[in-house]
Amino acid sequence: MSEMTDRGPASGGRAGGRQGRKDEKGAAGRRGMFRRRRVCRFCVDHIDHISYKDVRLIAQFIPERGKIQPRRISGTCATHQRKLQTAIKRARQIALIPYATD
Amino acid sequence: MSTHRQYELVYIVPGETAEQPLADLQSQVEAIVARFSGTVDKVENWGRRKLAYEIGPHKEGVYVLLVFSGPGDLVKEIDRRLKVIDLVIRHLIVRVDEEIEVADRRQARRKADTARRRVARGLPPEPEERAAGAPGEPNHEQTEV
Repeated sequence: MSEMTDRGPASGGRAGGRQGRKDEKGAAGRRGMFRRRRVCRFCVDHIDHISYKDVRLIAQFIPERGKIQPRRISGTCATHQRKLQTAIKRARQIALIPYATD
Repeated sequence: MSTHRQYELVYIVPGETAEQPLADLQSQVEAIVARFSGTVDKVENWGRRKLAYEIGPHKEGVYVLLVFSGPGDLVKEIDRRLKVIDLVIRHLIVRVDEEIEVADRRQARRKADTARRRVARGLPPEPEERAAGAPGEPNHEQTEV
């Protein structure tokens, strides 16, 4: 699935895809772009409930600009991205994290 | 009797608020909770924090967290009152019992799963022996699960 979504230019993506995700880091390195292996952090750490109060955790998924980091970048699974989304939106309401930064 | 649920309230008052008005406000909120036969389960003062963005003239705020249980009408009333009170610059009420329940259930299921898998491999259900001894076992386990 990964090669379909995040790597448009065909040749490199296809070759890497067969060997699975382990290859991804190396392939990206050649292009001079840093990419971590994409696994859902919340699944790995067994975090079931993402609270809007946990700013330190949430802040990792908010890039400079203040937008919510998309799943295709962070690798978060759908379930957790949904929960993260709610948490971020709540945290914004009570000014724990910004809506947008410039 | 209507069903009681657990909610979490966070409200923000301006950073320069003195102790006294803050205490008054807190007791006001608690009085409302009591009036609707609810219970205050936890109060937590986060102290002064910088706001992520300016709310009107305010750049800093004192955050207060209050976990309470009560009927839905109570939430409505608290929400209404906090909107009216000028001292409160922002507030948020969120229902929490459901989320906690779901998280607990998941944790329990995960625990049960681990136990079942361990038993299937002929190990005791709890990974206590990791500390007690059995050298080499932890490594083996990590690769397999």
